[in-house]
Amino acid sequence: MRSPIIHCQQLTHTYSGKVALSGVSFELDAGEPVGLVGPNGAGKTTLLSILSGFLHPTSGTVRLFGHPPGAAQLIGKVSALPQDARLDPSFTIIEQLVFYARLQGFTTQQAVLEAGRVLEEVSLQEAAHEKPLALSHGMAKRVAIAQALIGKPALILLDEPTAGLDPVNVRTVRAIIAEQSPATTFIISSHDLAELDRLCKHILLLEDGILQPETIVLNEQQAAIRFITLQMETCPAQEVIAELQALEGVLQVTNSQKNEFIVAYDPDLQPHMDLQLMQCINIHHWQYRQLSHGKTLEEKLFFKD
Amino acid sequence: MHPGFFNHLLLISQFELKRGFATRRGILSIVTFAVVWCVILLYPLHFAAELLVQEKDLTRDAGFFDFIGLGSLQQWPIPEFGLFWHFALLIFPMLSITLAADQTCSDRERGTLRFLVVRSSRDSVFFGRFAGVMAIQALWVSATALSTLALVLYRDAALLYSALPDLLVVTVNLILAVLPFTAMMAALSAKVKSARQATVWAILIWTFLAGIIGGFAYYLPALAFFKFLIPGYQLSDLAELSGWQTLQLAYVPLMQSLILLALGRWIMARQAL
Repeated sequence: MRSPIIHCQQLTHTYSGKVALSGVSFELDAGEPVGLVGPNGAGKTTLLSILSGFLHPTSGTVRLFGHPPGAAQLIGKVSALPQDARLDPSFTIIEQLVFYARLQGFTTQQAVLEAGRVLEEVSLQEAAHEKPLALSHGMAKRVAIAQALIGKPALILLDEPTAGLDPVNVRTVRAIIAEQSPATTFIISSHDLAELDRLCKHILLLEDGILQPETIVLNEQQAAIRFITLQMETCPAQEVIAELQALEGVLQVTNSQKNEFIVAYDPDLQPHMDLQLMQCINIHHWQYRQLSHGKTLEEKLFFKD
Repeated sequence: MHPGFFNHLLLISQFELKRGFATRRGILSIVTFAVVWCVILLYPLHFAAELLVQEKDLTRDAGFFDFIGLGSLQQWPIPEFGLFWHFALLIFPMLSITLAADQTCSDRERGTLRFLVVRSSRDSVFFGRFAGVMAIQALWVSATALSTLALVLYRDAALLYSALPDLLVVTVNLILAVLPFTAMMAALSAKVKSARQATVWAILIWTFLAGIIGGFAYYLPALAFFKFLIPGYQLSDLAELSGWQTLQLAYVPLMQSLILLALGRWIMARQAL
């Protein structure tokens, strides 16, 4: 029997009369990372806070692995990176991570090893004996990610995991997520759509506290109409559109933003559209920067037509 | 297998003990209190005890302490403990209001509590912090009681065996006396945003509750029963007692603590973290 790891039914939350979440219902199975996106104030953090047990919903039910958030059965199984949460400034990083590991059931000796392991995952072994106030914003964020990795939980809820991180550390976080999936299921809330595009197969879109009807599947291999996103160097946009439109199998070409074109095509008529596009670019001596299959996540979410 | 409620309670209270004795803030509090206590011990307490000893030798009828309303001091076989009892009944409840003010509030504002509640229940955090702060205060009370014993032995080393029961009775009673104050701070800390707010609210609630109930009870004596709700209500009566008699009123702080902890737990369970 299929048993979802997250089951939300008619979840509603209000803050002093203002609706933050309205009738949110969804189920998620274990597996690939799931992105949670939406504009500011859409209810992403509220939803993650309810799933983590930090907040009680005004109405509706939530079950993680069949248990309500905060249940003893979820200790060590579910972990979270809360947005903007900071460690206790009175204790060193290692003291706190060891304490958290002890709460999860590790012996003192195991807890020390586990704290060292998670700090190594985020490349912060040298900061183990520092106090939180001595860390930069990025380092504090990585420590917060490290605590979420203690005990290799089955489900990790990450609220803006890459916000404020430099590109090198963003890559580290991405590598951690890729390495631990699908043994660990990640739910990632982020505004960085390019990042989610790389990491997630499924996206949950929240708008004004309402979950949009269908989750967006990023894999388009089975679709009847496919897309290619073409980023060019400076080029004559009208001429490019006209030439691309004339290619066999092309259904529509849109100039989504400066020097970026989205080519919709029928894969049955032209299965090798990418090669055809390259030839066209070559013939006209244009310079391209990037060619990628599919629409960007931004296009899928916010420019559907 | 994750640890159970009592294991978490123990781990969290141990961490609080570490905060109280092994962090810069904790050590600073200890040093400050130690200096203040040394001054109290060496001057008012020491001199008043000497005066009591001399007075006992002279006359038992019309002493200075009877005149200032502290006649009960003479009922204590070892005057140092009688004086310690009176000083400590004033100092420790007040100290408790500041020492126990930050049980959960600043951690909740900082988001640190979120790291804890994904690994333990809210009950474990609430009661673990309370137990930790109580353990810190119990150690402070014990240290001051032991320093008083040292003062007694400095005066007369032969008093060791007769002083031990007094040492035990004042220590137990003082721990009981700070219990409802700590429980009140636990409940307030679960609601407010900072330790300062918790302290201000504690003083306001305590003052107004005492004033309002006292005022109503004056006109309607049946309402005097509600005085039981005020932490420290029994302290003035307690100061009149000595030795093991002081445990007669132990039920008051115990009842108050149970009520305040139940209230605090209720707040903590519903609070957004």
